[in-house]
Amino acid sequence: MAEIIAAIDEGGASDLLSDAIAAMPPVASSGSGSLGPFTAGYSVQGHFTSGSVDLIAPSTVRIDHLHFDWHIDLSFQIDLDDFLPTFCIPQACVDIPCVGRVCTPRICLSWPTISVSVPLDDFAEASADFGINVSLAGGNWKVQIVVQNVSQLQFGLTTAAVLGLIAVAVTPILLLIPFIGPFIAIAVDAIIATIGIAGLTGFLGPIISPFISGLKIPVYDQPKHFKVLPASGPNDPDVFIELDSVSADVQHSNEDELVLSVDISP
Amino acid sequence: MSLTDSAEVFGSIHETALNDMLHAFFSARPRYLRYGSQAFAPTTTVNETSISAIPFPGIPGGIDWQVTFQIPGVDLFKQSQALPAGLTLGPGQFSLHTTVELCVNCVQRRDDRGNTGTKDRRGHHLDQVTCTKLGVFGIGHIDSWNNSNGDGAVRLRVDTVELVDITPDALETVLECIIKMILDAVLSQIELPLKALRAGAFQLVVTNGPEIDDDRIKVFGNV
Repeated sequence: MAEIIAAIDEGGASDLLSDAIAAMPPVASSGSGSLGPFTAGYSVQGHFTSGSVDLIAPSTVRIDHLHFDWHIDLSFQIDLDDFLPTFCIPQACVDIPCVGRVCTPRICLSWPTISVSVPLDDFAEASADFGINVSLAGGNWKVQIVVQNVSQLQFGLTTAAVLGLIAVAVTPILLLIPFIGPFIAIAVDAIIATIGIAGLTGFLGPIISPFISGLKIPVYDQPKHFKVLPASGPNDPDVFIELDSVSADVQHSNEDELVLSVDISP
Repeated sequence: MSLTDSAEVFGSIHETALNDMLHAFFSARPRYLRYGSQAFAPTTTVNETSISAIPFPGIPGGIDWQVTFQIPGVDLFKQSQALPAGLTLGPGQFSLHTTVELCVNCVQRRDDRGNTGTKDRRGHHLDQVTCTKLGVFGIGHIDSWNNSNGDGAVRLRVDTVELVDITPDALETVLECIIKMILDAVLSQIELPLKALRAGAFQLVVTNGPEIDDDRIKVFGNV
């Protein structure tokens, strides 16, 4: 049996991990991806909130309803010519006495390419199984739980609702385009249909998933050269011990506990 | 039976680790093992603690003395180390074994005869140092404090001391009384933080303990 043993039960682990997750800085990334037929740039940031913890011997920490609140700024360009029929004012001719027949030219309007910026806020939830990782790095013993498996990602809003938000964002931009009045509904419907549920899921999934699949939650972080007592005057210097080894596992008895074992030397 | 029992968090330190911690403490701060009056320890340093000489009328500057302990070895219940007859280690107790060296500066005062108006007023310097080493066994308990912030500490308190093979019995009793008082004072100055006893893991607010059991100091609490 180890020289120093610390254990925490599931209730305590829920509180511990909740605090640890709350203390983690927000995560962020940016890049571009395929949003249906569009190439969309994005900037995403978010933070986690812990769910309920289930300790599973010998080495799994499961967090149900691991919650990720995220905000994304999407920007992409839409060539309206791809969605709207060409709008032409046909040639008109009139016969004018003493002048003859006068015709206006056929005028066709080319629809512009518009830039769309869409801010979206939502959350994603998953159940994740974490393994336990113990390392000695930079003179510190660290115990982290590291995601091993993530269940299907569940977004808070339905994808249809997110598409609705995109439609809401696109509409005022379209309204600024001359002569588009009769075609707005067609344009919006066409754009949303083009992106489609599959396109949106295929876009958001690869952006949000890496945050969860790469999640590491700190459980223990102490220097190997561990300070037992701080100095308290010129004749009472610091007192240190050495943490020679650290291990962690989940033990099952009449309840499940996360157990940390430490051996020391003077 | 789970480690945490009815609490959320459990921490424990085995007697071997406790001894490592005491070794680290006394190695860093040996002055807690060595106490001497001015002739032995003119000033307090990290290596020794200066104390007063024992005052006595007619002895200028008093009786210089020194007390030095070896780093004590501690055995937490259940008993692992042999104890002399008369000492038994009960639940919740620890035993300790150390050596104490008592030294006195055995000053020979000069006669006034032949001196013209000068009295013997020698200050603190070592004349003839006489020492004895005694093996010390003791039984004690842990004292502790903690608060709602999760801070807390334990210290060792000595209840009984046994010196072996000293006669007459009355002398043994007197020495045991003196050494018990000194050893208890030495150890009770050392507060080992609860955080250190669990190597910094899992902050807790104490609900039960610290207590000695199964060769360990155990503490229970909630996050």
